[in-house]
Amino acid sequence: MAEPFEPKIVAFVCNWCTYAGADLAGTSRTKYETNVRIIRFPCTGRIDFMLLIKAFQNGADGIIVSGCHPNDCHYTSGNFHARRRWIVFKSMLDFMGFPTERITFSWVSAAEGKKWAELVNETTDSVRALGPFTEYKNLDFTTFNQMDHEAIAR
Amino acid sequence: MQDKAAELLKNGTVNLLIGFSEDLGKRPVPCFIETAEEANILVFNQECKNNLSVYLHKKEVKDAVKIGLVSNIATLRSVMQLLSENQLWSLTITYLTVNTAGELVVLSSAEELEAYVQANFPTCRAEDKEMLDKLNAMTRAERWAYWKDQLSECVKCYACRAVCPMCYCTVCTTECNQPQWIKTSAETSGNFEYHTMRAMHLGGRCINCGECGRICPAGIPVHLLTAQMNLEIEQEFGGKTGWSLKSEYAMNSFKPGDKENFIK
Repeated sequence: MAEPFEPKIVAFVCNWCTYAGADLAGTSRTKYETNVRIIRFPCTGRIDFMLLIKAFQNGADGIIVSGCHPNDCHYTSGNFHARRRWIVFKSMLDFMGFPTERITFSWVSAAEGKKWAELVNETTDSVRALGPFTEYKNLDFTTFNQMDHEAIAR
Repeated sequence: MQDKAAELLKNGTVNLLIGFSEDLGKRPVPCFIETAEEANILVFNQECKNNLSVYLHKKEVKDAVKIGLVSNIATLRSVMQLLSENQLWSLTITYLTVNTAGELVVLSSAEELEAYVQANFPTCRAEDKEMLDKLNAMTRAERWAYWKDQLSECVKCYACRAVCPMCYCTVCTTECNQPQWIKTSAETSGNFEYHTMRAMHLGGRCINCGECGRICPAGIPVHLLTAQMNLEIEQEFGGKTGWSLKSEYAMNSFKPGDKENFIK
C-alpha cells in the first residue's frame, strides 16, 4: 500500500525573530508537525524571491516565509522592504496562475513559540489538503510527452 | 528632421546621432550618423517603434559624449527613468522628436525633457489593457495554462533582455552559475523562472514601451508581465515610472503603512 502523502514544507525564517520563536517552541517542548525544514536567514529582507521558486523546483510542496513584526526588525527596515517585495511577488505569481496558497507569509516574534507551532500545523494541514505540488514539475514533463507523441506520429 | 540633424552635426552640438533609416523600403532600422552629409538617410514615421535609448548603454556610444537621439515618446520616457536611476548623466543628449501635431521638437536638457514627457505622458496601450483584462478575468488554472503554453515556446534567446533599456546590469542573474539561478536549457520550468525574475527585476522600473513583446521571435507577449506589474505597483504604492527626474524606485523604498491582507 502506498504511503500517505506527507508534504515537504520549507520555512524561510529570519534569525532574530522567527528562528528564535521556533527555538522557543522547541525549548518549551511544544509539539508540532515534523514536515517543516527551517532555513535561517539574517533578515526577511535577504529572502530573494528566486529562493522560493528554487524551493518549489526542488520538490517543496509548501513554503513558509516568516520574520519580525513590522517595526521590530533588527535592521530597522528589512521587513518593510520584504513586505513590499512579497506584495508584488504574490500578485506576480497570481498573474502567472501560480497556486499562491502554497506560500504562507507570517510575522512570528521571538516570544511567539506557540504561534510558530500553530502556524506550522495549520500550513501542514492546508498543504496536505492541497496534495503534492505537481504543476511545476509538469511544466517540463508535459513538454517532453508532447514531443514524444509528435515524434511517434512522424 | 534631416535638416535639423545636419545642422546639429555640423555645428558640433552632436557627435553621434542615433536615428532611423529606411531599410530597402521595408521598415525603418536604427542607424548611427556621424557626419552632416549622411543626415539625408534619416526617416521618422509611425513605423519607427524601436526604443533607441537601449544603445545609450553601449561603450562606443558613450564615448561620443554628445549624442543626438531620435525618439518616440516611449524612448523619452525610458531616458527619464534612466536619469532618475542616475544613469546617462555623463552624456549630453539632444532629443529629436515629433509631437502629436506633427511638428519637430528639439529638447536639449533634462529639464526640457521632463516637461515634455509630463505633458505628453503615454498611457497603457489599448491592446495591452484589453489583453490584461482578459487574463485577469480568467480563472487561475486558465492563466497557468495560458502562460505554460506561451512560455513553452521560449528558447531563451534573451532578445527581451537585450532590447530593454532598463536591463543594463553588467552581470545578469541569468549568467550567474554559482548557484545556477536560471536553468540554461530552454525547459518550460526554467523559462518560468527566467520570466518571473525578469518581471520582478523590472517591477517599478519598466516604462511600458512594449519592446520586449514586439521583439520576441516566438511571439510571447512578455511585455504583459511587466505591464501588469507596473499597474499593480502604481495601484499599491503610487508613482509612475519615468515621470520625474527624482522618481523613487518603488521596490527600493517602503512606507510603514504599506497595506497587505495575506500576512498572518
